[in-house]
Amino acid sequence: MAPEIRRGFIIAALILLVFALLWASRTENIPPADFSLQNGTDPKTIDPHRASGQPESRIIFEIFEGLMRMLPEGDPDPETGLQALSPQPGMAKSYDVSEDGKTYTFHLRDDILWTDGTPVTAHDFAWSWHRMLHPATGCEYGYLINELRLAEAYHKQLLNIGDRVEVELWDRPEDGDPNSDEKGALQHFPRGTIVYGWLREIEKTPEPEFEKNESGEYIQNEDERNSAIAQWKQSWIYRIDVVPTDDADQPQWDGNAESQRFSQSLEICSADQDIQRTHFVLVDFVHNGGAQAIDDKTFVVHLNNSIPYFLNLVAYYPLFPVNKKCIETHGAPLWTKTENIVTNGPFNLDFRRLRNRVRVRRNPDYWAIDRVGLETIDFMSLESQNTALNMYETGQLHWINDLPTSVLEELQKRDDFHSGPKLSIYFYKLNTAVKPLDQVKVRQALSMAINRKQIVEEVTKAGQQPALSVVPPGLAGYRGAEGLPENLEKARELLAESGYPGGRGFPKLTLMYNTSETHRPIAEVIQQQLQNNLNIKIELKNMEWGSFIETVQQEDYQMARYGWVGDYPDPNTFLDLWVSSSPQSNTNWKNPEYDRLIVAAGKEFDSKKRMELLRQAEQILATELPIIPIYFYTSAEMAKPNIEGFAPSAQDLHPLSVLRLRDSSTATKE
Amino acid sequence: MRDLAGYILKRGLWMVLTLWVVYSISFALMRSVPGNPFSSERGMPPAIELQMKARYNLDAPIMQQYVDILKGIVFRGDMGWSYKLEDYSVNQVIAEGFPVSASLAIFALVFALILGITAGVISAVYRRTPADTALMMAAVLGIAVPNFVIASIAILLFVFMLQLFPAAGWGTLSQIALPALCLGMPIAAYIARLTRTGMLETMTKDHVRTAFAKGLPRHKVITRHVLPGALLPVVSYLGPAVARVLTGSVVLEKIFALPGMGSHFINAALQRDYTVAMGMVLIYTVLLFVMNTLVDITYSIIDPRVKLQ
Amino acid sequence: MMTDSNRETLERILAESKGIHGVSLWQDAWRRLRRNKTAMISLVFLILLAVMAFITPLLPLQSPIDKDLNNRRFLPPNLQAVVMGSRADLKFEGGTLTGEMAKFDKMIVALQEDAAQTGDADEQQKIAESIQSRMEVEHPFNQLWNELDPLSWKMTEIRIAVFGDYSIPSVFGTDKLGRDLLARVFWGARVSLIVGVIAALVSLIIGVSYGAIAGYFGGHIDAAMMRLVDVLYSVPFFFVVIFLLTFLGEPDVKAWFDSVGVDQIMVFYITIGAIYWLTMSRVVRGQVLALRHEQFIEAAQTIGASPPRIIFRHLVPNVMGVVIVYLTLTIPSVMLFEAFLSFLGMGVAPPDVSWGLLLNDGIEALSIIKIFWWVVLFPGAALAFTLFALNFLGDGLRDALDPRMKNRD
Repeated sequence: MAPEIRRGFIIAALILLVFALLWASRTENIPPADFSLQNGTDPKTIDPHRASGQPESRIIFEIFEGLMRMLPEGDPDPETGLQALSPQPGMAKSYDVSEDGKTYTFHLRDDILWTDGTPVTAHDFAWSWHRMLHPATGCEYGYLINELRLAEAYHKQLLNIGDRVEVELWDRPEDGDPNSDEKGALQHFPRGTIVYGWLREIEKTPEPEFEKNESGEYIQNEDERNSAIAQWKQSWIYRIDVVPTDDADQPQWDGNAESQRFSQSLEICSADQDIQRTHFVLVDFVHNGGAQAIDDKTFVVHLNNSIPYFLNLVAYYPLFPVNKKCIETHGAPLWTKTENIVTNGPFNLDFRRLRNRVRVRRNPDYWAIDRVGLETIDFMSLESQNTALNMYETGQLHWINDLPTSVLEELQKRDDFHSGPKLSIYFYKLNTAVKPLDQVKVRQALSMAINRKQIVEEVTKAGQQPALSVVPPGLAGYRGAEGLPENLEKARELLAESGYPGGRGFPKLTLMYNTSETHRPIAEVIQQQLQNNLNIKIELKNMEWGSFIETVQQEDYQMARYGWVGDYPDPNTFLDLWVSSSPQSNTNWKNPEYDRLIVAAGKEFDSKKRMELLRQAEQILATELPIIPIYFYTSAEMAKPNIEGFAPSAQDLHPLSVLRLRDSSTATKE
Repeated sequence: MRDLAGYILKRGLWMVLTLWVVYSISFALMRSVPGNPFSSERGMPPAIELQMKARYNLDAPIMQQYVDILKGIVFRGDMGWSYKLEDYSVNQVIAEGFPVSASLAIFALVFALILGITAGVISAVYRRTPADTALMMAAVLGIAVPNFVIASIAILLFVFMLQLFPAAGWGTLSQIALPALCLGMPIAAYIARLTRTGMLETMTKDHVRTAFAKGLPRHKVITRHVLPGALLPVVSYLGPAVARVLTGSVVLEKIFALPGMGSHFINAALQRDYTVAMGMVLIYTVLLFVMNTLVDITYSIIDPRVKLQ
Repeated sequence: MMTDSNRETLERILAESKGIHGVSLWQDAWRRLRRNKTAMISLVFLILLAVMAFITPLLPLQSPIDKDLNNRRFLPPNLQAVVMGSRADLKFEGGTLTGEMAKFDKMIVALQEDAAQTGDADEQQKIAESIQSRMEVEHPFNQLWNELDPLSWKMTEIRIAVFGDYSIPSVFGTDKLGRDLLARVFWGARVSLIVGVIAALVSLIIGVSYGAIAGYFGGHIDAAMMRLVDVLYSVPFFFVVIFLLTFLGEPDVKAWFDSVGVDQIMVFYITIGAIYWLTMSRVVRGQVLALRHEQFIEAAQTIGASPPRIIFRHLVPNVMGVVIVYLTLTIPSVMLFEAFLSFLGMGVAPPDVSWGLLLNDGIEALSIIKIFWWVVLFPGAALAFTLFALNFLGDGLRDALDPRMKNRD
């Protein structure tokens, strides 16, 4: 090429470079917020019915509000520094409970508004709970209100012949032709036309059967089996006596019924034009379920059995209301965008930057605006412990809650350090279907040979409590079960009795944990303790969260690290995980007596007897040890001294609306 | 000029083909690794998990998914919704992350080029002097220390001791500076070494010796005759350097809490966020392809011996 | 007809030519390399490092995995003597490794005596088996080292015989779980070096052949081969690594590899090497493209040399300079990639240790509140010095190997 072109090219390249630099240096200056906090990973969503983790919940608690709200009660405990929280009236100004504890009537406030200016009504709650339970929403917390009338059947799509059912026809706006399989990309709730009727018959083809190999295990994995079952369910044909509806869209259950047939399957519907295509056939929760709006300001809840902690559930974010009009207009997930979202909490969503921050701003229309002390809050997406600490030290953050353990001893000496017991446990799950973990004595030996004191004092160091059973201490009215104490001699004896004297012949076990700065050292120390004490070799394997969870759920593991944070302050949240039918157990551990006790406790109205039943169940768990408890968590966090009203709480909830700045002049220093 | 246009056209066609191959490989890779995007700690009931799969079309036969996703990308430029960052579509994820990564990459690369070439030239010209040794030692140090260590030390030094920069975050120029320095450092070191090697190589060439023999001034020989030849390896390194910056920044994004694409890339792959992972792979492919094409064109312009093919 | 004098002359010439020994490229290079002081220092350093890494079990180091949590967490470098096996939780006889070994040996001897006394062959067989499994499971070495291979086991025995319970004090300090860093740096060197060397060799072999072939043939072959490289470049190899990690972790695959006797980690690092060849092939191809119109290639073609001969005999040696520079960059890249994987928590699994893992632990302990400098300094310095040496050696080799540098300087 000619030299002049070459020269021109070089000049062009230089000009391009300058432009690139100019483009790259444009900046966007965001003024700092009143209060910034470390919020862990980026929030997955801010839809209350889709969220499940702590980063999401912190934000949702501030921009939405339920019938009740968890707020501080009294002053912090002078000894532990823990702030007691209790469910206090939020959107509801008061509530009545029936004597049997099965019916709650909530009376809503008059001055409560959505951010679009419309009032919050009981119908919003009825609709929101309905949305939360609807299978298409895919809410992970549906099980929390299984005791709500018809909720479980609706959520899990359970049907009985003779049920009053709702049928959603294949005419959602995005559905298109019912005779094709083109799909709308996203869910729009609510749904297509609903017709109601009596379920008379379900025509089923034979249920698919799965082959097993010689050792009695299925050849197909759980996923494949589930999807085969689901395929099969799709082919069901429902015969329903459809009843007419009146002008207000109320079904006339005694009206003239007309028999019609429905199916979810495309092939069946296109083969037989008499069969109508449907999205779902579900029990009629809307009219017969346990969540009913009597009028605009009265919301009634019917439970099958009383739940002592029901008000805590009502104050939990999955039961918060969402705005019907907003969701119907924009659809999910577009309604969660800053420009679309309509909320009702103490703060509004101001803006959201992916993997950077979510900013909320004080909501001037909030009914208790006087309580709200902060103008803006930044929820910073920060995963690295050291980065968060650096930002805290330079004043970019005001509250950090995940501290590097290597400097914890130094930080503990400072005044801005806060710590208190948390309602959660750290443990190792054991797969009891794997040899030799199928022997109770082996599991007991492993548990007894672990020196938990060394782990909490020398590794985690934030004042965690060694755990020998599963329910954390400090739950009112509950005395936990006695675990098996650590005892080396006994552990060796038990191991010898199970056929592994001195650890000889004991196979190498694999311990899995998800990638984290804290799980590895704990696993390394336990690896050493089991080697030193029992001559048992443990192989460590770390996995990323996604594959970790998957492997555990496929029961393709031997030992796996887990943690469980109580969903509500009651022993049940730690115990009902381990019943035989629980999808969360994954230990293959089954004990009929344990199952019986948990069910009995769920039906027991007398609090004392109930607690005793739960204690007996925990005793079985702590003796049979399908899990090895390690310790009960303690929170360890730092908060700037100019923040007033900050205190740790057992459930690790921090109502941000009650915080204020002590002295506004020093608050915004960057 | 005409063969340049033809070349670019041809490369464009190649890119489409490459994208298709990359799409297919990534699709196959992602679907063959065990794990599904909706595994969650609470263990969803199977019925609900199926709903989630239906929502994202994951219940369709695998070939159907392959075709559907491809159609969406080709005809609507729509890469679907993220499974893990539920409120975002892949296009929105890229729209938010790309400018951050691009700014960071531009600063890092410019810094690396300026520093690297300068150091390389100096050390080649003053070969076997203390300056040469010192510069090459520094370059090796840049290559020899992982950038997470460099970044951690830089934070202690520049943030806490000298208090020049903020500790982390994104938005202002001062917040870009430190991560860009840390990101550019190893690349500057590479470039310095390549420049030096190239310079020494070229200085033994006949045309350079002739130029010296003609009595041309030293700086003229070096800028006119030595440098163009010496920069060839540097130019060919720029393609990989861009790749390195884009993925390598994941460490710095973590340490400096930057909202760039690098962490999306890693997280999406690890968490089975198929759509985002696919989006990232394709974006990455386009970027690399464009960079490689530019590198090849530059190569042919600087070095007349190489013809565009 | 050849006259006698002619024959004489011919014989004389032949004899003379036998006396001339061609100086091969490598001999020549070695001669010149020896004159380069930094390169030679680097070479000596690297050889020393390799030897030290190999004989690590012979050295009187502390245990790399024994964690003294209660007394020795985050000790700065010090000269306090440490007796092997003295940690209380180990419950070794007399608080020493030799004491425990004596006890263990006594037990074995007692068992052997039992075996000798019983006349029953079955009983003898049983006791022999028990001895065997006790040796494997209960030997005190298991508490202080992780799964020593037979050679390392022997070396450890020699070390105990020579040094007894003596071990070098923690001159590099200890880490957050109370492990001796000096020992960890040495044991980590074994893993890191092997990773770097194997992966770089794999990348060298693939990359050079591929690049040289593409560059030499040019045209469509070159275009096709380079497009393939472009495509591979655009597959972010992080995916490949994650995919492989998960795939290799599958129980079936794992069992298969074990049965073939291939270490999983070995497969993994060969894979890394197979990823790093791309850049190498591009560079080589670029050089070959520029070289293939040179006269000496045309000369070789004219006399009918086969393409493989031209590529590997004439072209490859001529691009060796750049290849070696790239190789000295590849080994560090691989070692750094290993560190990067450790940073993301996907590196070697404890109790195994590598420099990357050590560095990752190190930066976790680098915080403004308190700086445990030794935790990051020593592993960092070990890595840096190694890569320094590799680089200087690479430079030296480049100068020495470059045929165009011959008879100059």
